[in-house]
Order: sequence, then structure tokens, then C-alpha cells
Amino acid sequence: MDAVLSIRDLAVEFKTDTGLTRALVDVGFDVPRGEVTAIVGESGSGKSVTANCIMRLIQPPGRIVAGTIEFAPERALSSEGQAPRAPRLRAPPFDIVSLPNRDPRLQELHGGLISMVFQEPMTALSPVYTVGNQVAEAILCHRDVSRRQAWRESAEMLERVGLDDIERRMRMYPFEFSGGMRQRVVIAMALVCHPEVLICDEPTTALDVTIQAEILTLIKDLQRDLGNSVIFITHDLGVVAQIADQVVVMYQGRVLEIGTVRQVLKDPVHPYTRGLLAAIPGLAPKGQPLATIGSVVGDADIETPHPLRRLADGRQVSMPQDSRG
Amino acid sequence: MHDDTLLTVTGLSKHFDGVPAVEDVSFDVRRSETLGIVGESGSGKTTLARCILRAIDPDAGVVRFRSADGWVELQDLSPKELIPLRREMQMIFQDPFASLNPRMTVREILEEPLVVHRVGNREERLAAVLDMLDHVQLEHDSLTRYPHAFSGGQRQRIGIARALILRPNLVVCDESVSALDVSVQAQIINLLEDLQRDLGLTYLFVAHDLSVVQHICDRVLVMHRGRVVESGVVDDLFANPREDYTRLLLSAIPSPDPDVPLRPLDRRSVGL
Repeated sequence: MDAVLSIRDLAVEFKTDTGLTRALVDVGFDVPRGEVTAIVGESGSGKSVTANCIMRLIQPPGRIVAGTIEFAPERALSSEGQAPRAPRLRAPPFDIVSLPNRDPRLQELHGGLISMVFQEPMTALSPVYTVGNQVAEAILCHRDVSRRQAWRESAEMLERVGLDDIERRMRMYPFEFSGGMRQRVVIAMALVCHPEVLICDEPTTALDVTIQAEILTLIKDLQRDLGNSVIFITHDLGVVAQIADQVVVMYQGRVLEIGTVRQVLKDPVHPYTRGLLAAIPGLAPKGQPLATIGSVVGDADIETPHPLRRLADGRQVSMPQDSRG
Repeated sequence: MHDDTLLTVTGLSKHFDGVPAVEDVSFDVRRSETLGIVGESGSGKTTLARCILRAIDPDAGVVRFRSADGWVELQDLSPKELIPLRREMQMIFQDPFASLNPRMTVREILEEPLVVHRVGNREERLAAVLDMLDHVQLEHDSLTRYPHAFSGGQRQRIGIARALILRPNLVVCDESVSALDVSVQAQIINLLEDLQRDLGLTYLFVAHDLSVVQHICDRVLVMHRGRVVESGVVDDLFANPREDYTRLLLSAIPSPDPDVPLRPLDRRSVGL
């Protein structure tokens, strides 16, 4: 498999008043190039921390204590003397975790090669700059082009994410936009430099279900057109089913199951994954109590860490040897 | 009207600066049922719930509530006349982090409604608080702890206990499970259903998550631009939506089955 990102043995700790909290424990998975990888889990499972590691956004009191994130971009990095967007000139893979803070590759990474869409579009946008300004700024940060050119490319991208009346919209401020429109602007900002990896951290959680459907369709369509890889973080298995090719299930900072979307959602192996699916209200018969993770997991021990092992069908699960496989 | 009707709302309207938020809404709520109110943000579902409880004052309409002392019309009561009725109508909020005072212990939070309504003496109030902790399945040693020491799900249990300690008839749940993780959400939904059975509660369940509504509600009102566009028994309405807006909402729910593709209706194609 051609992986754009290979995460291995990643461990993150947060120093708290009561001691060290292990936010990630031996997290490892590959992000296949040109596909959508969903990371699912509940709060505290480590899904956002994993994304923040990829972006090198872990700040004290948090610290990456071990592991590597190997990034293999398709195009060459301009900081290595290549023209940006030179076709098919692969940069050598490098480890994001061990990049020094002042390494020029880090700046190129942020928003250039890897970009991120957050949950709350209003906090991701500045209230004091126009929408056009903010999208164009992303281009001007990363490429040596004129303002006019940046503005033109911004307009193209905003049109692509579904805004109309572009020239007028670009001179408006984020507060003049609806929640769904704001999220479209954030997506345009994230994609305008043609990143190889787009990380979406719960991008539709704050939106109405109708707007969520529009944004999911948009992200999927753009991914198909632009060919970038997507890491999609969510707690909603309905969203996972609709957007993902590969699914990574996380719990308490560990990866419990990795497989294709059909493997994980239609035939989950790990008891925790089964519990997560059973707790969805729409699937339970009416008048009966909902299954909770506790009631599905039962006596199975999901707290003891087990190394991931590969089953015959290619998926990976964190379970002891004697269970299914 | 059924003889087990608890609440009837007729022609309720509320405008904010001339903008209609709720427009001519009428419906009945029967005792011990769960009535869902669904719609997108801005559809007026929370404003409607607040008007019923007189958290805000409606501009027009009649809200009749069957109190312990017989039928009353809530919209005309003075704030003072409302106080005794507040015991019978309570609210469970969305965000368990924002709805609890961080500087009060669980005991103070749960006792406060009893003190305000002058219920019982000190010992009786403590007994009621402990009894309510049992109902929401929290340990008795929670009494002296502050909200920050609890998880989101536990905090929502505290919020539920505070709403129920006065033994209300009507409970408005405003997005009460929306902020919770799916496994915690399942536990709280189960708890709400147990409490409804044990205490004979009537729920007005405001939510945007249609699969939660389908599970917990008996009947449902669909709101769009301040009006009720469709209402009915939840399973019938979900299986055979009559209005385009209801169809639009239902078509937007992502199925957890990857082989059932998401095909949301286009707002413009249904003329909305």
C-alpha cells in the first residue's frame, strides 16, 4: 500500500497536577494515499491528539515522548530547492516528529502540504478580516505569487466549495455568513494550497444534519477531484460510513481496530467497536433500552493493551491471540 | 382533547424585533408521553419550549397546563403566580458544563430548588437529595463534590436530578443528550426512559438528532421557520413523511451502513 503518512509507536504524555496522563499509547497506522481514513472514538480516545501530532501542534504540558510519523509527499518541497508544485518529483520521506522547530519544512507543512479543518468555523476564521483576505493569505504564506493572482485563485476555490456571487462574498466578513457557509470558507482556505493531506477534526459536529450532509458530500467530491488524502476525525459512525475508506477505532489513547469501512462497520471484531455500533439509537428496537458499550462489552477486557495483529482478512485488531483470527 | 391531556398550546407566536421565531403553533401533550420537537437551528424549537415554560413571554397564543390544582393559562400569569407552577414544570439543558454552578456542591445544587420552594426541613431535604441521587444512579459520596469532579455524563445526571427533585409533571429536555458521546448518550437516554416510567414524567424533547428522537419519542412535531409543518406518531412520520421539509431532514441522516449511500435532497429542488 502506498501510504502518505506512516505513524509508528506514537506516544504522547500530558503533565497534570496529578501526574502524567498518557494521551496516546503506541499508536500506529498508515494513511493510504488518495483515500479517506476516519479516526473514530469517544472524547478522550486520543483522536484529536493524533491529528495534532501530525500537525506538530502538541504544546506543553503535552509532549510527544516516542514514535515517528513518516510523511511521504508526492511533490517536492520548495525549501529543498525545487519549484513548488513541480510535477511528480517526489521529496524524500521524512519524520514529522523529529523535525527541528525552525526547520523550513515545518512551515511548508502547515497549511501547505497538510492542512486542517476544525469543528467550529467561527473560531477558525478571524472576525476582523474579509473572507477573501483570509483565503488569499493562505496562498501568500506559501507561494511567491502576486496578490492579484492569490485573489483570483481564492475566488476559484471559493466557487468550487459552493459559494455564489463570489466577488461580493469575498469582501464580506465571516459573521455575515451562516455556519455552513463559514465551514465552506474554512474548507476553501484549507484546500487552496492543494495540500496532500487534509485533516478534518469533527468538521460537521456543530452543524445541522442537513448542512452536515452538504459538507460531507462536498469534502468527498473535492477529495475525488483533487486526489488528496483525508483524515476525518469524528465520533459519529453514520458520518464514518458515508465518508471513509479506512477506519481506525481508538479508545483511551490506543488503536483497537483498523480495517476497511465495511469490515469495521458491518462486521466489527473488537468488542469495543461492537459496543460503539450497538449504542447508536437508530439501530435499536423501540421500547427497549439502548445497548451501552458496557452491556455489549460485558466481561471482555478492553482495558489491557494488546499489540495490533493482522487477521486473515487484512484488518488489524488489538486482541489477545486466542480470540478470533 | 383527551382526558389525559397535560398541556395544550394554541396559536402560540413569538417575534424578536419583528422577526417571527414561532408562528401560530398549536398542539397537545398527553400525560406520560414523550413529544419530540425537531427542526434545524433557527426553526424555533427552543423558543417554543421556552415560551411554554414562560422562560420568555410569548406575543400571542394560549398555553393551558393541567396543574395539581386544575387547568391554568400560563401566558397571563404574573411572575409571582408562576412560582408554585415552576415545581411542576422543569427543564434539562444541553450543556452539562454550562448549566451547573461550578461553585456549588452537588448537595447545594440539588437542595436549592427545595429551599426556593420551601419544601421540607433540613433532614427531609437531605433525604430527598439522596433519594434523587439513587434515581439518577450517582453515589452518595457525590454530595460534597463540585461539578468539575464529574464527567460529562455524570454532570448531565446531576442536571437531571436537579430538574426532577421537585417531582415535576412536565419536563422539557432541550437537546439534553446532544453534547454527549454515543455510549454516554445511550446511558442517559436509558435513564430518561427509566425515570419517565418510575416517576410518570411527561417529556417535551427538543432535539436535532432524528435517530435519538425516533428512539425516545412517541409523537413528533417538525418545525420549519417557526411553524409546525408536520406532526404525528414518530414511526409513521419517519416511514411516510408527507411534507417536503420532513423528507429533506430525513434524507440528510447519514446511515451507519456504508452500503446505504447518503443522498440528501436538494433544498432548492423541493422548493424550500
